Amino acid sequence: MPESLPNLTDFFASWELFREPALAGAAGGALLGMLGIYVVLRRMVFLSAALSQAASLGVSLAWLAQVRWSVPAWIASPTTGGTAASLIAASAMLAGRSSVATRRDGVLGWVYLFGAAGTLAVGTRIVQEVQDIETLLFGSGVAVLPADFASLVQLAIAIGLLHLWLHRGFIQVATDQDGARVRGLPTRLLDTLLIVSLAIAVSVCTRILGALPVFAFTVLPAMAALSLAVHVTQALPIAALVGGSCGFAGYVVAYRYRLPVGASQTLVAVLLVAAVHLVQRALSGLLALHNRKHHDRGHRHGPDCGHPAVPHGDHVDYLVGDHLHHPDVEACHDHGKLDVT
Amino acid sequence: MNGELLVIHELQVGHAGRPVLPPVSLTVLAGQAWAIVGPNGAGKSTLLRTLLGLQPPISGTMRRTSCGVGYVPQRHELDPSVPGRVLDLVRAGAEQNWSFVSPLWPFTVRRRVQAAMHDTRVLELAREDWRHLSEGQKQRVLVAQALAGEPRLLVLDEPTSAMDMASEAVLFGLLHELRLRRELGLLVISHHLALLGQHATHLLFLDKDEGVVRAGRLAEVAQDPAFVQRYGLLMHRPAGGDHA
Repeated sequence: MPESLPNLTDFFASWELFREPALAGAAGGALLGMLGIYVVLRRMVFLSAALSQAASLGVSLAWLAQVRWSVPAWIASPTTGGTAASLIAASAMLAGRSSVATRRDGVLGWVYLFGAAGTLAVGTRIVQEVQDIETLLFGSGVAVLPADFASLVQLAIAIGLLHLWLHRGFIQVATDQDGARVRGLPTRLLDTLLIVSLAIAVSVCTRILGALPVFAFTVLPAMAALSLAVHVTQALPIAALVGGSCGFAGYVVAYRYRLPVGASQTLVAVLLVAAVHLVQRALSGLLALHNRKHHDRGHRHGPDCGHPAVPHGDHVDYLVGDHLHHPDVEACHDHGKLDVT
Repeated sequence: MNGELLVIHELQVGHAGRPVLPPVSLTVLAGQAWAIVGPNGAGKSTLLRTLLGLQPPISGTMRRTSCGVGYVPQRHELDPSVPGRVLDLVRAGAEQNWSFVSPLWPFTVRRRVQAAMHDTRVLELAREDWRHLSEGQKQRVLVAQALAGEPRLLVLDEPTSAMDMASEAVLFGLLHELRLRRELGLLVISHHLALLGQHATHLLFLDKDEGVVRAGRLAEVAQDPAFVQRYGLLMHRPAGGDHA
């Protein structure tokens, strides 16, 4: 007889046992989700992947130093190794910053590959830690030490407060770099602060959650939030909420269906983004259906389209039913209801 | 700098130490509208980026007004994946230097943001998603964003590209009105010579291939043989209220 899967009642009955790892997933997801807004806006999605792989290599090297060279754990701790490696990677990226996108992507690719291959290579030298290396790469926050959980929460609060304070500057640099420079904002400093805070967050979260969910949390919640939010400032808390929910729900799903935690957290985030996308497509489909009540999908408004032209500000709209339609290259937009007298 | 918003002397611009144009000298005064004209690849954008401080000059000197410069980029530089209301975009233009460290800054600049939106006639669009606006509306929003910093000098990079003729005329009319009302200096890259003949007071003609740089009053530069050879005769019909 197959063994039955545990249910949610079992999970919450053992809350004492799962509290730290489940909440660590939520805290890490929220922190990385918020920072991910800048990563996605700047089209540097590969940045977090590269930083998490660099952090993985740093953690592996710390273990190697402990196992092979008997370096005391308080010097070569995994957290120190991961943070140092991701900060070095971040510095290399800042130093090699280029306006040429292909060159910048090349640097990110180099860091990613060096981190991933280096982690696996170091893993062969510390055979007894191979399980930990796999955990590091693919994530398994099954058990999180109270000290790790506490440091993650403290970090999330510190970086969260910094970003709450300086978010207007970070948004300017992420969305309009040239405009920010012309207006005299300290773009280089803001850039450095952003990448350093991302590097620290990624390294600590990689150590606790694993590289795979870290990469997922810095990309997927931001994608969902940017498509839901009315403006970028609003997208920040939405991304934190989505990331936190995915981190927590992913842990619960992993427990319920006996899945690896990192994979489960990543899949929950992937499915959530897909759901948001589908809902948005359905809503725009409904809007198109509303428009098609009055004209075909392929209909293009113009001087001879048969709909009355109505001057609207500096442009011309077309009256369809009691709504103004504005054609552009891709779609027909509703410019609001018109009261015809 | 009494009334002088931008003074450049023997300024050489280019990439990696290689100049793309002969040295340029000109002085932009408050109330003047300078048009930067030249064929594609003439070095207009390189000059503009240098004047804005976005890339270093190769040689020469440049002094800009301490009262601020407003920059209106090309519309296609706006990323359509970035959500935002018109109000958010305009408000972003009011951020200057270290203003972002002050949580109260958005409240202190409310009046000037509102004035910029009023003057560019986008106040009624404040809550609209900028991505759903017409091209003309988007351009007015970008002008409002630049004005929110209360600049004395407004720099525009091809503001009427991909616009129909009616929208182009409306935008140039608006710029003319703003220049007179706010005593702005304008520096505009544009290919629309008919409208420039109506609204520009001065002309900077650049031609990298011929090694030509001409700067001065529109009526004078438009008579220059190099300009006439490239563009023919330019009709100079100043718009109303123009005494610059």
